[in-house]
Amino acid sequence: MNTLQKPSLGGRIFDVVNIIFLLVLVATMIIPLLNAFALAFSTNFNSMQPGIVLWPQPFSLEGFSTVWNRMQLYLPFQNNIIVTLIGTLLHVILSAMAGYVLVQKGLPGKKIIVSLILLTMTIPAESIMIPLYVINKEFGLLNSLTALINYGLVSGFSVLLMRNFFETVPMEMNESARIDGAGDFRIFFTMYLPLARAGLATVTLFEFVSRWNQFMPALLYINNHAKYTLQIALKAMIIDTDATSSTFMITTNVRMAGIVIALLPLIIIYPYVQKYFVKGIMVGANKE
Amino acid sequence: MAWFCLFSYYPLVRGIVISFQDFRLIGNKPFVGFQNYQTVLTDSTFWDSFANTLLIGSGILVIGFIMPIVLALSLSEVFQTWFKKLTQTIVYLPHLFSWVVVGGMWIMLLAPDTGIVNQLLHALGQDKPINFMSDSSYARPVIVFSYVWKEMGYYCILYLATIVSINPSLYEAARIDGASRWQLVRYVTIPHLYSTMKVVIMLNVLGILRIFDQIVAMRNGAIAPKVDVLMMYTFQKGILEFKVGPATAAGFLLIIATLVITFAVRMLIRYDEG
Repeated sequence: MNTLQKPSLGGRIFDVVNIIFLLVLVATMIIPLLNAFALAFSTNFNSMQPGIVLWPQPFSLEGFSTVWNRMQLYLPFQNNIIVTLIGTLLHVILSAMAGYVLVQKGLPGKKIIVSLILLTMTIPAESIMIPLYVINKEFGLLNSLTALINYGLVSGFSVLLMRNFFETVPMEMNESARIDGAGDFRIFFTMYLPLARAGLATVTLFEFVSRWNQFMPALLYINNHAKYTLQIALKAMIIDTDATSSTFMITTNVRMAGIVIALLPLIIIYPYVQKYFVKGIMVGANKE
Repeated sequence: MAWFCLFSYYPLVRGIVISFQDFRLIGNKPFVGFQNYQTVLTDSTFWDSFANTLLIGSGILVIGFIMPIVLALSLSEVFQTWFKKLTQTIVYLPHLFSWVVVGGMWIMLLAPDTGIVNQLLHALGQDKPINFMSDSSYARPVIVFSYVWKEMGYYCILYLATIVSINPSLYEAARIDGASRWQLVRYVTIPHLYSTMKVVIMLNVLGILRIFDQIVAMRNGAIAPKVDVLMMYTFQKGILEFKVGPATAAGFLLIIATLVITFAVRMLIRYDEG
């Protein structure tokens, strides 16, 4: 946007300083990551050596095989995939349907419903964790993946986001389809969903990321090793063993291998997330 | 249509039911009036964690407010598109990671003998390694710093989105009037960011009251008294000590605090006018 400006000496100096500043910041972001990756691919012995490691020397998969086979990280990994996929799918469908209802004309009490949804967004889920725990206990859902899938199955954020996308669909289309004899289901699936594809993608990606990283509910509801999710397993492995490393030594490369495994799906979907998320947060922020 | 409505309403109703079930929970037990609240309010641990929340929260609020703006402004002054894109991408990355991962990574980076940070400090002439994760005087700064580190990119992109949407002819006009580059930023860009700043402040305020994952991931016995926040108190009371009553009461106090603070901040920054 400043292309018309003539470069002056002061401007040049500023540019250089500015870029150096940004490079330093980027370095603080990238070095920890590189370090984690490098350590993950190091041998047990090398990962425990002091030094700034940005590239594995020598390259080794020791950490990964330990974490995957001996620590059995594949179990939490599987659980995580189940919870993430099913949870995200249900979340998207339910949010989309609720959003569709909210754009219907002549919906009684629309304002009240919206403000009730907003209320659920203001109250942090963490502050009702004890009641949530008790409810799950009463329903006999403790120690089950169902509890995790059920947690945050619908969120006000997604519902309102879908509503905002659906609002861009012209009402006339809906009405003419209705005159032609299409039912709500058909209108919903064949007209609204395809037209709000960007909204669906946004909700899906957001939900995928937050489900993959889901931590608190798993911490609350799960205490059976077989049902551990990735984050809980990682926490037990990385953090809890840090203080008591005398009997069973978990080397740094094993820990970092765990981290890399947990990061991989996120890094894979990252390019898509970036595309949609600005749209998403702007909508969310406006509704705050 | 009616069936469809029912089906779609279910989740909405469910949310409401859950928020009311908190009350039922207390009703199930013998009614004890405000005793639970009294227990909580006279518990010194509660006030300690309250103070921690305030201290860590205000640190995050200040630093977490300034950093993304600085970052966004300096990014917007970069002309090389590829560099800009790349920086943006990298800076946003930590936001996607869970606290367990971020916490684990920083615990490793800050480790006294093998961590990179201490290696660097050593190279700069520091003789003794600093044990960041067990020295209680570093505890809160570490929490604040890692929070800002993780969330900086997220807020930065919010600002960038606003900067991009500023009408370019405003810059043209200012330039014709002879404004310098700094003046352009000061008098054109920053005023346009006010409304985004308000949103970010609101998000931050709501965010700091719910810090939980981070503390669970990064705390340890040595620094716990310095970093345990209100959520941690609730969690410990309710789940680890099974004192459901007081824990729920603490949760409700937190909800009330959230609503009050949100309202107060809204008034303070005149949120609705922006």
